[in-house]
Amino acid sequence: MTDISDPGIRNRTTPDGDNAELTQGKKVRRYTADLSATGEPALWAFGGALAIGILLISSFLFMVFWNGITTFWPKPVAVVTLEDGTVLAGEPTRNERFRPGTAILNAMSEEQRAEVEANGGYATRTLYKTANFDLYGDDFRWIPDYTVTQTSYPPDFYTFERQEWGVFIGRVTGLVIDDQPMAYDPQVMRREQREARQRFNEIRRLERGPIGRINHRLEQERLAIRRAQLRHGADSAEYEAAVAEGNARIQELQARFGEIQSQVAAIRALDQRNRVQLEEIGGRSIEPPLSQIVRYYAANDLSLLDKAGIYFSRWGEFLSSEPREANTQGGVLPAIFGTVAMTMLMVVFVAPFGVITALYLREYAKQGRLVSIVRISVNNLAGVPSIVYGVFGLGFFAYTMGVTIDQLFYPERLPTPTFGTGGILWASLTLALLTVPVVIVASEEALAAVPRSMREGSLACGASKWQTIRYVVLPKALPGIMTGLILAMARGAGEVAPLMLVGVVKLAPALPVDGFWPFIHLERSFMHLGFHIFDVGFQSRNSEAGKPMVFVTTLLLLGLIVAMNSTAIIIRNRLKRKYASSHF
Amino acid sequence: MRTFAAMLAATALTATAATADVSVDPNLPTYEPVSGVSGSLTSIGSDTLNNLMTLWAEGFRSHYPNVSIEIQGAGSGTAPPALIEGTAQFGPMSRPMRGTEIEQFEARFGYEPTPIRGAIDALGVFVHRDNPIECLTMQQVDAIFSSTRNGGLDDALNTWGEVGLEGEWANRPIALYGRNSASGTYGYFREVALFGGDYRGEVREQPGSSAVIQGVASDIGAIGYSGVGYATADVRAVPIAASEGGECFEASGDNAMAGDYPIARFLYIYVNKDPNQPLDPLRGEFIRYVYTQDGQRDVMRAGFFPVTNGLAEQDLGIFGLMN
Repeated sequence: MTDISDPGIRNRTTPDGDNAELTQGKKVRRYTADLSATGEPALWAFGGALAIGILLISSFLFMVFWNGITTFWPKPVAVVTLEDGTVLAGEPTRNERFRPGTAILNAMSEEQRAEVEANGGYATRTLYKTANFDLYGDDFRWIPDYTVTQTSYPPDFYTFERQEWGVFIGRVTGLVIDDQPMAYDPQVMRREQREARQRFNEIRRLERGPIGRINHRLEQERLAIRRAQLRHGADSAEYEAAVAEGNARIQELQARFGEIQSQVAAIRALDQRNRVQLEEIGGRSIEPPLSQIVRYYAANDLSLLDKAGIYFSRWGEFLSSEPREANTQGGVLPAIFGTVAMTMLMVVFVAPFGVITALYLREYAKQGRLVSIVRISVNNLAGVPSIVYGVFGLGFFAYTMGVTIDQLFYPERLPTPTFGTGGILWASLTLALLTVPVVIVASEEALAAVPRSMREGSLACGASKWQTIRYVVLPKALPGIMTGLILAMARGAGEVAPLMLVGVVKLAPALPVDGFWPFIHLERSFMHLGFHIFDVGFQSRNSEAGKPMVFVTTLLLLGLIVAMNSTAIIIRNRLKRKYASSHF
Repeated sequence: MRTFAAMLAATALTATAATADVSVDPNLPTYEPVSGVSGSLTSIGSDTLNNLMTLWAEGFRSHYPNVSIEIQGAGSGTAPPALIEGTAQFGPMSRPMRGTEIEQFEARFGYEPTPIRGAIDALGVFVHRDNPIECLTMQQVDAIFSSTRNGGLDDALNTWGEVGLEGEWANRPIALYGRNSASGTYGYFREVALFGGDYRGEVREQPGSSAVIQGVASDIGAIGYSGVGYATADVRAVPIAASEGGECFEASGDNAMAGDYPIARFLYIYVNKDPNQPLDPLRGEFIRYVYTQDGQRDVMRAGFFPVTNGLAEQDLGIFGLMN
């Protein structure tokens, strides 16, 4: 900080002549300075503001990171005995202090009341994740800690993650293999569960592959008939021929569908013969098929290595599978795919538009009032609320352009809209509109920063204006333009509000890219990580259970944006180096 | 509008309400897949039904893997325009369509939209988990939430003391949480609990059912309404009495089905069905799936209450789906 004895400061703040006074007829310099003149308070304010800013951002990032990173770590199952004799099993989730009301205080025993009073009227309670929603009708319970008489962590309690109904916490009482009841044997269970999951995945594969192809062709045949009807009229010979031909093929396809369906049914029947008998702490039991068990572990009997295994297997599932239980469990693969695809598509639209506009405004347009107005308008566009872009995208892209496209090119599918509703194309166009001001402004700045001497040098060598721009100005400005694109990407990938109107949905089982011609389906709606966060956090049935997923998904979205941006930055630096060596 | 209880009586539902545990009616059929169902379905409408539609879609797709189903839920108010524009085949709504909405639909197609009643919901009035309130009457709920007080109480209720709480609660102000106006829950609650009146300006309007619960959970003086399926351990549903001195009923499945709980409702899916033409197999099979063991188990998974076979047969009959 400022030190008065520092000669540099002294010279700066007390220039000759100032602050000098006469003492005993001699000029004496007074080496003090006004605090505001040294700028010290301002320095402290700036530094403080920066520190607060960094603190806020880093604590936010830390919160997301910590909550996200710890979610998948397996938690122990506590068996809690209450003073009224009730026993319950659950994962302790969090605890808090609370102030018991008069009614609760009156119901307490003397010692308990004394203890609460000693704590200033506060008691503590713990939230247990008791799971077993199918049996209990709830998943979480608050238990006041003073009612707990005993807590134990028995090693025979298992946590089961099920395909449906969420988690089950309880004991394994037996196995039913091939409809034969047998005693529980961990190794048999492990083997049979793995096989059952393989069968489950086999059904998935059959449904995706062969059945999917048949269904796709069925749809094509139906559309072909409808097309013939629209083109030739309902009572023309062509239509009847098309119907006869189409129906014959439909019959054939349905016969094949029947065959595969019976295969699937056979696997399903086998699945039903292999079950596991589970018992919750209260004694009620269920007997789900083994194929319904996604993952299970003895929650209190895990080595560190086991825990790590479960942890990474959960991450694997999260990153590579589809959601289940209305998005609150399973994975987010469709959402990851949707986010990346939408952002990439947005860059494809926004880059040429933004750069060309900036080039024209900076290099070609005559700088005058009109260009200033355009520039101000572009800058103002950046301040329009994003939801307004969403409304525009819905009204113009989907309802105007999309509906016209449907009428012209997909009349056979009407009234089911193809392009006439939200989709990944319209969503990325909307976001491109939203982010184009950022790109224009950044590109203009970059172009303006190219020294005039370079342009003049190029022109003096006989290059035309376009050649100058193409070979001198653009390469020099490219890193700056890339910076604009990176900012646009970051903004676009994190934007959710307008997307909700133009194509993001809670459940979109078909990815925008698949194995059916034309392979890329830009009309399809898609899932998005940002919307997924909103949906799981604010729309899911059990918001308590959704909370950890919110953090994990946020962490993932942040990671994805960082990854996309780093890639862009690496490309930018490559370009910088490439062009740095290629011109004088 | 006919009341929920009257509609229940009309469908002879009350006879089955004696069972203690809510479970799926064993008379409902199990789903038998048929061949030749493919295509895409879009559902736009209620966010209360969002999760349920997703579960139904997941279940339906386990039978028809390449049927693609899209689900958007921004509020019941978005369902009628989507059906009229043809952008959706299903319009889930947590309230019946209004007269004007039906008229608009009729003006376009010449017939009315057809609803199916896939599930029963009890609208819970939730308070913070530490709130000791034992019971509220409908009139009190009205005087808490409404500015018009059509329920008949003279004064607005502003503190918990005014509804009978003592001690530290007596002076604690009541904080109101509710849904935004596109929501069917908003409309239904206004119609039934507010006796058609208006909400007070102080109600904090939340974007989702779950957001109401989270708001109530974090505010000790809060009260809010939301589908009972969204309840968490952080909030408590207050038993409701239909009138002063009447018996208080928990927001449970039995009470909802029996018509005792005063703010229970059906959850609808509206479908554009031409009465002169059979329903296409895709939509038909989906509706059939809703009224099966699996479909109604999904209802319970979503936290709502299943319907009975009698009601299912009635609705399937309207669609010509009874074999």
